[in-house]
Amino acid sequence: MTTIPLVDLLSLSGALFALGLFGVLTRRNFILILISVEVIMNAAILNFVAFSLFSPGPAAGGIPGQSIAVILIGLAATEVAVGLAIVLALNRLRGTLNVAEAIQLKL
Amino acid sequence: MSVDAATLAFLLVGIAAFLAGALALLSREIVHTVIYIGGFFASLGVVYFLLSAPFLGLLQLAVYAGAVTILLMFAVMVIKRRIFAREAVLGIKAPTFILALLVGAVLLDLAQRVPAYASAPACPASDPYCVSLLAQNLFLDNGGWLLLLGFVMLSALAGAVHLAREWRTPAVRKIRED
Amino acid sequence: MIVPISAYLPEALALAGALLTFLMDAAGVRQRSVVGGFSVLFYSLALLSVLGDLSVVPFTLFATVPSSLLSAGAVGPIQFTPLGLLWQAILLSAALLVAFASLSEAEGDREVPIFYGLLALATLGMLLVTLSADLIFLLLSVEITGISTYVLVAYARKDPRALEASMKFYLIGALSTAISFFGASLIYGAYGSTALARLADIPPGGNGTQMALVGLGLLMVGLGFKVTAVPFHMWAVDVYDGAPDHVSAFLAAGSKKMGIFAMIVVFVAAEDVVYTASSAWALYVALGGLALVTMTVGNILALQQRTMKRMLAYSSISQAGYLLIGLAVASPAGLAGATIQAVAHVLMKGGAFLFVAAMATLGIGSRIEDYRGLGHSHPVTTASFAVLLLSLAGIPLTLGFVGKFYLFASAVEKPGLFVVLAIAGLLNSAASVFYYARVLRIMYMVEPPAEATSERRWTPAVAHLADPGNDPSAPPSSAPSAAVAVGESTPRAPAKEAARSLDPITPLSRSNLGMRLRDEVRTIGIARWTAIVLCAALTIILGIYPTPLIDLANHAANSFFSGLP
Repeated sequence: MTTIPLVDLLSLSGALFALGLFGVLTRRNFILILISVEVIMNAAILNFVAFSLFSPGPAAGGIPGQSIAVILIGLAATEVAVGLAIVLALNRLRGTLNVAEAIQLKL
Repeated sequence: MSVDAATLAFLLVGIAAFLAGALALLSREIVHTVIYIGGFFASLGVVYFLLSAPFLGLLQLAVYAGAVTILLMFAVMVIKRRIFAREAVLGIKAPTFILALLVGAVLLDLAQRVPAYASAPACPASDPYCVSLLAQNLFLDNGGWLLLLGFVMLSALAGAVHLAREWRTPAVRKIRED
Repeated sequence: MIVPISAYLPEALALAGALLTFLMDAAGVRQRSVVGGFSVLFYSLALLSVLGDLSVVPFTLFATVPSSLLSAGAVGPIQFTPLGLLWQAILLSAALLVAFASLSEAEGDREVPIFYGLLALATLGMLLVTLSADLIFLLLSVEITGISTYVLVAYARKDPRALEASMKFYLIGALSTAISFFGASLIYGAYGSTALARLADIPPGGNGTQMALVGLGLLMVGLGFKVTAVPFHMWAVDVYDGAPDHVSAFLAAGSKKMGIFAMIVVFVAAEDVVYTASSAWALYVALGGLALVTMTVGNILALQQRTMKRMLAYSSISQAGYLLIGLAVASPAGLAGATIQAVAHVLMKGGAFLFVAAMATLGIGSRIEDYRGLGHSHPVTTASFAVLLLSLAGIPLTLGFVGKFYLFASAVEKPGLFVVLAIAGLLNSAASVFYYARVLRIMYMVEPPAEATSERRWTPAVAHLADPGNDPSAPPSSAPSAAVAVGESTPRAPAKEAARSLDPITPLSRSNLGMRLRDEVRTIGIARWTAIVLCAALTIILGIYPTPLIDLANHAANSFFSGLP
């Protein structure tokens, strides 16, 4: 049971989504874009948790939202690991080149 | 309207989370970014505790605030020769700013119009934080999701091991010399 | 209803293929013929099983899905439908095509097992997408394919350009995943459940409709990245261009179709049933606009390309636009048209990218002008490629025409402004003929200077290096691409292929057609040659006699709609 209103939770997640979107669109560095994506992912997780506490679903309807949140946390960590592997591979190939500059991306 | 302690705490932590996220994305030193984002993940973990989902809170702290932050820091250290190097100019362009504001406005508006949902039933006394209910749901009712997450992790593992594997052939050295 | 475990035979085969490949890697078995042979065998068995389930082949030993299951609706997060099975066959044939053609790649890399392993995992994800009855299940399946393909793009590890493409692909993929899951969270909030069947209801609890619509909109953005719909397409060309050719074939033929199917199961139900009264127009307008913009922009940009792979990549974007017409119309006819067009697209794009791969191993450059006179030196493969291009342009007697005809007809049939989509599609098809015809003209009309041809055939690596600026439209983001050219030629013109080409017999000096044909097969590789010719042959055969395919697609589409409440 919680007394925190759903509106506040959704407002926070909406603001975080906008923040992450802003980061993705403005930053040009691999790590920073990745972090922005993680901010969006966290907004989604927060939403799932919030809706697990308030939802029109069946009586036990709250629980699947938390299951999804658990799965998403695992998924996001997996994704970050793959991203790191790709960067490392590029870093190794480039040797002394500064990858953070070489990968300035044009999205 | 009176605000109870949990809501007040949530407001504080929520604002802290947003600020940490904003600082992370606006900071010009990438190491600071990683530190701020660690704070961001941690404050969301606190939010889950406040929402009486302690299992998720712990997971958030361990996986996000712990593992992912360290992974990011590691990436920064490997990639940047001088890890405290400043990033070049921060290019905030008006269109992207407006787009983000617009999306934020839509979502905030949506939050105001949220239907009046009933809150979820309280957890049973024998299981005050619904952890065993969660486990049952995760492993039995929705085991399919977990299986798929396993497949995702399998492909990630195979791919990451392959990419990170030690690998020296004449071709590489040639490219490096060039 | 309990799903018998044997019903998962295709998925089990894909997973077993992946695990077996990794085991072989660990055991040091890395011959392409062995590893790839097993993959091809597994995909063939899986395809046979699915085709048996669809009763396309009389051979039903592997038909494992009981017909009662096909009408049973969702069982938990899983659902067996005729439409899903048909798309399973489509996606499996894309994987089979790529796995089979890759048998002709250069022998003996350490990278062989990982290529087939990740291909199998990506296929597993695609197969699971077609079974999804639950939004989270669907997005997680999409993610399996996503993660596998990010690495697949960079699997060779020698090519910095491929790694850069992989990085871009990865960032876009992660972004699309995050946006999709945010949309899914709103849908979960609106319905209190993530079952896809619920999308056909009006959300309970008063004004949940807005939340569901915003959620669907975000899902459209997230999945739009996967299908390269136009405002979200900017990654596609660089990735297709940077990836190894066979992986490009798989991305265009396989994982894009997966995105389309995911969009079908998410949106068509919502469009057709839900908001018919209130806000249906929003979804219709969004999807229709997406289709319109995608095909137009894809075609306009394809017209300006000077390298073959980028041209094919942009034409692939415009093809995605045609497929989206079927989604925007959201009628049984539209869905059947999209299914037929998907079959055509697998054959056309798969075959075309494989042809580019074959030409790259022969040391022929990547510019369209480099394909000058190929019709004379490689008659059969070039003819196949020509057929595939004609089919892409939608010339009658090819499968591409049948698919487009059904799509446009469905748009005309549907009352309302949908006729605009048909007109735009027709205009776009007409415009696309220009750039396809240009390639045909270069391949056939222009006689190659005999000197240049033999020189090109004999020194492949040099020919490849001779045009560093072969890509004027490359974005500045791939700044090191000039330096990359050195790395690029290394994997694509391996020593063995070069040795083959150094064979002192010039094929042009032979008048005997049989000898020339044998030479062509030998240089391109028997598996790849067969795959390309098979694609062209199927395009023609199904184009002339499409009735079985049309019946199958109509049946699947009708059953999809009759399954809706």
